Amino acid sequence: MLSKLFSDQPDRRYIMFGGKGGLGKTTFSAAAAYFLAKTGKKVLVFSVDPQASLSDIFKQDIYGKGAVKIMPNLYAQEIDADHRIREYQQEIRKKILDMYGLESVPEEIENYIQAAAAEPAMEESAIFDEVVDIVVGGEYDYYIYDMVPLGHALYYLSMASVYDEWIGKITKLREEMAEYDQVAAVMRREKETEEDAILKELLYIKQRINASSSILTDRAKTAFFFVLIPEEMIIFDTQAAAKLFAKFNVPLSGYIVNRVIPPDLRDQKIPDYLRNRLDMQKGYLEKIDMLFGAEVLARVPEFERDIAGLPMIEKMAHAMFGDF
Amino acid sequence: MTEEEKKSRLAKWTDSAKRMLYGMAGHDMARYALKTRGSMEHLFILITMGDLLGIPILPPYYSLRLLPYVVPQISTWKRRMLRERDLTDALA
Repeated sequence: MLSKLFSDQPDRRYIMFGGKGGLGKTTFSAAAAYFLAKTGKKVLVFSVDPQASLSDIFKQDIYGKGAVKIMPNLYAQEIDADHRIREYQQEIRKKILDMYGLESVPEEIENYIQAAAAEPAMEESAIFDEVVDIVVGGEYDYYIYDMVPLGHALYYLSMASVYDEWIGKITKLREEMAEYDQVAAVMRREKETEEDAILKELLYIKQRINASSSILTDRAKTAFFFVLIPEEMIIFDTQAAAKLFAKFNVPLSGYIVNRVIPPDLRDQKIPDYLRNRLDMQKGYLEKIDMLFGAEVLARVPEFERDIAGLPMIEKMAHAMFGDF
Repeated sequence: MTEEEKKSRLAKWTDSAKRMLYGMAGHDMARYALKTRGSMEHLFILITMGDLLGIPILPPYYSLRLLPYVVPQISTWKRRMLRERDLTDALA
């Protein structure tokens, strides 16, 4: 069912797995990337999580190294926000020195540059900005976002719309200022006013934010999957989160249930402990089917060991997508 | 008086007339426009660089992008935002 979804909708090139922490988002991201790469698509799976675990699942240190080739057609990337921020600060300093022909950045300005980088929102913004670079690049057939846990994901998505609105307001103010400039210039019979460099910068920022948020909320291009497990709390949280995501116009493609204990274990000689858990899961699986119905795309079994390294990822990919 | 001289005299006269008209009507309007623009400039810096006063408004990542353009204004702006209001304000 999942693989059919991918082949039926080839334009959905931005794939996201969302859900609470520790439910298997990274695992599914890696397995989906593996499946797509094996079927001949060029795939980039990247993490927007400061505590990313792609390095762990691929058993390869890729942190802050750009897009690293894992196997043919499959690339993975973990964003190093700190590095990005340092580079960015340096860019700003250089620009100031160049613009005013200074030897060193004035103390007050330097203090500000350093204080701004220490803000908690800085890291998220830096990651956000790098993601824009990645998706605007467009050199891959598929982009798989290894999403941060739900709260962060919502923050990330809402940031796009808040930023957009905010920058829109400032840009408008700037445009009004240009009008007053124009009036004064006409009155004093001056030639054209010089172009507003700040306005240009604002429009650039706006366009970048739009590029990213329009992809995230575009039903034709984006597939968003919720990951959940058959447990009461998780079902509640997923329901609530789905509502919030709908509010931000995130196009929800369906639900994937992870960690399902194989039901045929029931016929074997198993301890009561496991039998109880099987019964519990049976109830919650029925509840999930009742709540989400046809939107439940796959049930993925609990594996006997951790998913890490390509052979285990391959196993997981087959559990999700069947034969390919 | 040659044609040349006549022309330049006429030009001088029209120029002074224009200046006078500007002084009577235009100057005030231009001054007003520039003053409004000046206040807007301060408002703009406040909402983009508010962090400097401890009021974070624009996400810092993007305010840094704008920082190079407002470097010259920063010191006067801080003075204006932080100073106390006094009688001379009414005269300004």
